[in-house]
Amino acid sequence: MNSMYPFLFLSFFMFVIGLGVMIARKNIIAMLLGIELILNASALNFVTYTRFVNQNLDGHIMSLFIIIIAAAEAAVGLAIVIRFFQVRESIHIDDAAQLQA
Amino acid sequence: MQMSYLAALGHYIPELIVCITMVGLLVLEATYSKDEHGRGLLYSGAMIGLFIAFCVSAGSLTDLPLPIFTNSVVIDPFSGFLKCIMILGTMGAIYLSSQSKDIYNNLKAEFVIMATGVLMGGMLLASANNMLILYLGIETLSILSYALASFRKTDERSSEAGLKYALYGGVSAGIMLFGMSHIFGVLGTIQFSEIGPVLNNLTATQLSILIPSFLMFFAGLGYKLACAPFHMWTPDVYEGSPLPVTAFFAIVPKMAALGALTRVTFVFFQEPGLLQESWVGIMQVIAALTMTVGNVGAIGQRSVKRMLAYSSIGHAGMMIMGVVVINEVGARAILFYGSTYLFMTLVAFLITSFVNDKYGNDHFERFNGFIYRYPMMAIAMALVMFSLAGVPPLSGFVAKFNILSAVVEKKYYMLALIGGLNSVVSLYYYLKIVRLMVFKESESSEKIEGLGFMNQAIVVALTVPVVLLGIFWSKLIVLAESAKILIQ
Repeated sequence: MNSMYPFLFLSFFMFVIGLGVMIARKNIIAMLLGIELILNASALNFVTYTRFVNQNLDGHIMSLFIIIIAAAEAAVGLAIVIRFFQVRESIHIDDAAQLQA
Repeated sequence: MQMSYLAALGHYIPELIVCITMVGLLVLEATYSKDEHGRGLLYSGAMIGLFIAFCVSAGSLTDLPLPIFTNSVVIDPFSGFLKCIMILGTMGAIYLSSQSKDIYNNLKAEFVIMATGVLMGGMLLASANNMLILYLGIETLSILSYALASFRKTDERSSEAGLKYALYGGVSAGIMLFGMSHIFGVLGTIQFSEIGPVLNNLTATQLSILIPSFLMFFAGLGYKLACAPFHMWTPDVYEGSPLPVTAFFAIVPKMAALGALTRVTFVFFQEPGLLQESWVGIMQVIAALTMTVGNVGAIGQRSVKRMLAYSSIGHAGMMIMGVVVINEVGARAILFYGSTYLFMTLVAFLITSFVNDKYGNDHFERFNGFIYRYPMMAIAMALVMFSLAGVPPLSGFVAKFNILSAVVEKKYYMLALIGGLNSVVSLYYYLKIVRLMVFKESESSEKIEGLGFMNQAIVVALTVPVVLLGIFWSKLIVLAESAKILIQ
């Protein structure tokens, strides 16, 4: 693998799928997974650019932080989903419609 | 010039104090969580810690600006000023939470701890000079905010608010990161100071990647700032969250994101060129849209809290107008606007909170005949409403005038016109409350327990700056003028 384009295409693909999941899926857990895909796409981008273009450590550090924060965000997100499930007994996004004007 | 780590810490004292306060509060909460006495201790501890941080932050406003921690954080008067505003906002929200019944008693300690944590993230964001620090600041701010929004655990609306906040927040943070990764790929650095200079000689290919990347990058900031294309979550989250949390959201994350947006714009787009033109153009459209959406949305609302949520979107749009001009005058106007906005928002939310605690909702009709029952409070509320709408001689007018004059100076007449029209629109819904308070008969003559002598005194004390800043504005302007942004 001496070209960075396959990696960039892969990350772009992941990004688009993540956005697609966020828009199309109605299951909240699936939507959280979509967020993970988007975050991982950008982490992959950072690593790719560091490997092929910029020979400094910034990108690696960035992607490590992204992994850590994605875990934290998933933890809080899941906790909120559990809370939501306990009050609404559903993890369907259409059931979250109490607050529309 | 590189500074040793310890010497750099010496310039980072306000953040350290906030951090230590948070850890101390955690220990206190673990030790005394059961009894009433412990809660009093917790509140006084939080207030003292934040007050010390405020004093240190305000005291170092005149220091020379400098970058610390290998240029990843900048300590300059601009961020110092924003930090003062954020600390005061947090103190106000914590006081509100101690009085409000909207937060369960056994969770009050947690509110204080998390609010301090959000404040820490906000302070980091306001002085971020590096994409990593910016991202860390935004996420510290966001992740704690998700938990804060779903604070009423058994309440459907609150957990829904938290859920929406978390989903929207996650996506926009992801989009921002994707943009950042391409900026890093093209320019080869995540340091703001190194990005600025290289932006001027780029090839067409690089530009074609960079422009969408900057737009994606803006998504994350714009989401925190609740500006037009990313504002959908704001009314829902603000309405579902408990009232002290809403007051907190309306001030701290907003000011922090505004600080970051200002720094990014000033550092990246100082030099004229294609990128600057497109950024300024997009920001103008966004400012105009944000104002219009906020003010038009506020008109039809029944709930005062939701109205205040929409109006905060409108004010965010107004403050973005100060970013668009990219000069010192704009930065000064933003700081002035922020400090008046702080007091106005706090008073409005304090009074709404007491009414909400009494009646269980905060519909406009609850304010009927308020002036005959609590004249002082009604006058304070009326003053704040006039000030939010921008009626002279109150401070809101001076703030809006500053922003508009900065915009006119740059010859963005269309934008200034939209800003002026929006002020007129906002008069309608702000004056609606005043009209109800004065001209309607009161539904009941029951007392509102929350409005004791102490709370009335605090509301009045917070209203005084709203009036005084409108008359003696020159003092604050001078202070804000010295608060320059360090571009390095």
